[in-house]
Amino acid sequence: MYSIERMARRARLVVTSRRRLGLVLGAVAFAIPFVVDFPDLSEPGHRAMAVFLLAIVFWVTEAIPLFATAALVMFLLIVLISDQALWSLPGGYEAPPFSSIYGALAHPVLMLFLGGFFLANGAARFGLDRSLARVVLRPFGDSPKMILLGVMAVAATFSMFMSNTATTATLVAVILPVIASLEPGDRLRVALALAIPIAANIGGIGTPVGTPPNAIALAALTDAGFEIGFLRWMAMAVPLAALLVIGAWLLLVRAFPPSCASVSIRIDAEFDRSPAAWVFYATFAATVALWLTEPLHGIPATIVGFVPVVVLLGTGVFKARDLQAIQWHILWLVAGGLALGLGVTSTGLDRWLIGLVGWDALPGWLIVALLALVATAMSTVISNSAAANLLMPIGLTLAMSDAVAVDPIRVGFMIAIGASLAMALPISTPPNAIAYSTGTVSTGDMLRTGLVIGVVGLVMFLGVGPVLWRLLGVS
Amino acid sequence: MTEIAILVVEDEPEVRDAIERDLAPFQGYFRIEAADDVADARDVVRELATEGIVVGLVLCDHLLPGTLGTDFLVELHGDAATRGARKVLLTGQAGLEDTIRAVNEAGLDHYVPKPWTAAGLQGTVREQLTEFVLEGDVDVLPYVPVLDGPRLVAAAADRGWEGRRT
Repeated sequence: MYSIERMARRARLVVTSRRRLGLVLGAVAFAIPFVVDFPDLSEPGHRAMAVFLLAIVFWVTEAIPLFATAALVMFLLIVLISDQALWSLPGGYEAPPFSSIYGALAHPVLMLFLGGFFLANGAARFGLDRSLARVVLRPFGDSPKMILLGVMAVAATFSMFMSNTATTATLVAVILPVIASLEPGDRLRVALALAIPIAANIGGIGTPVGTPPNAIALAALTDAGFEIGFLRWMAMAVPLAALLVIGAWLLLVRAFPPSCASVSIRIDAEFDRSPAAWVFYATFAATVALWLTEPLHGIPATIVGFVPVVVLLGTGVFKARDLQAIQWHILWLVAGGLALGLGVTSTGLDRWLIGLVGWDALPGWLIVALLALVATAMSTVISNSAAANLLMPIGLTLAMSDAVAVDPIRVGFMIAIGASLAMALPISTPPNAIAYSTGTVSTGDMLRTGLVIGVVGLVMFLGVGPVLWRLLGVS
Repeated sequence: MTEIAILVVEDEPEVRDAIERDLAPFQGYFRIEAADDVADARDVVRELATEGIVVGLVLCDHLLPGTLGTDFLVELHGDAATRGARKVLLTGQAGLEDTIRAVNEAGLDHYVPKPWTAAGLQGTVREQLTEFVLEGDVDVLPYVPVLDGPRLVAAAADRGWEGRRT
């Protein structure tokens, strides 16, 4: 047994020294563009670079919380490069209005995400997640392998609409008693604990509201003039995500063969039949239905997303308390990334950065692959959203520049997917941290399965994806 | 991540050993400290404080040489540093009046009558420490294997990672 006491002391030391280092590095990085003169880069570009470097250091080291960095980025952009900049900017430079930087907080895609939070938080409050899990798991019977598949199917489906973390928490709570009932040497314990975060991480890819990197991609693409509808995103993501979940299941069954003959999962949950719950179920169903039928009625998902907000608040199903419980910090983090993208593009920093490399020597598919791979690598050690925030503006500008011939939608999509495919370490995502906390999974197990699934997933989305999308007519 | 201690106050060596034996599953996750009377217990609390370790749970006998167990619990309840500790009386000899005093003035959380069973005591400790961990500003995930895992996991997700790693 490991000693929490000793780990606590060491963890505290590591965290404080990393934070301190981050603060110092961040300050130094911020100062560089004010001291060093980069040839061909404009004065506003220098200022944007200072903010960009600071954001990189703070988001990587978590010197201050991620959402705090997002707020800082917005503030610095306003005082440095907006039309309200405190220090005068050269003539000829078209400063973005400061309201557009604040405006990132209310970006339509964030409103879509807000709607997603309303649905997810309501599902948790009315126990819809547990009662649905009970119903869905029943047909999978009691064979260990089928149960494993059932748990993964539930996790993947739920995380398309709920956060990956909440999905994992719900299902880990369900399987903890199962794990405790199994023989200590039964590898099914490891398989179950790993299956949930893996399936939840993959499931998050499935819809625009599945996970924050998707929102970051959608919002950045929207700002650049490219629209992907809710259904089109799903058509691009769900078939491959489903295949990947099945692949992951095969891998887990092979790597951790169960030694028990049968296993039973007990979920104590009844459908809540209170009037408030019915209002919620109806709202949930209507919202999802409207999202999925966008081509029929043409109402954008970002407007449909506000329906649950209006209905649940209007009917009093959600009160002030529920509004406060919304995960605003995640919306702020995404907004910080959007603001950063705005700053980087409006000052020309993005074009300057891209000009540093001779991209035209590289084929388009390789550029997409590299960006996706970098997103996965970064997200393995830092927050998926932060990685997407940092890569998205550069990636999209590159895709839209004359130097290369790649589809910007594919670039934005693959950066988001790449970020979601990072699941090799306990720190890679909160779902991994939760699974690791059960004490049944070793870092080695997580590393091996996470790496295999990450690599296979990248290959599938990069290699099979374009072919499939052309067949489906969504390319 | 904060370190958390379980404090056992029991004057009879065999009984103390038996309690400590039953607390074995919590070893490694919590610092387990034993004291044979209240004076000793006060020293332990002081020492833990200098090490930056908080007392999460006090398992206290009532009839102790010198100060009584319930009086010690009232004392702990009056001190801001130990007010949050979960307080459990583990005794066969606390009368009604002492027990009432412990409930009303020490915020007694649980009463385990002697003789106790290992499973029963472990259940109480698990429940009380889960409450303590959930109330405090600590990272709850490390305690999933040893405390009420489902509750801790759900709470961890609710806390939204304080905006980290999302």
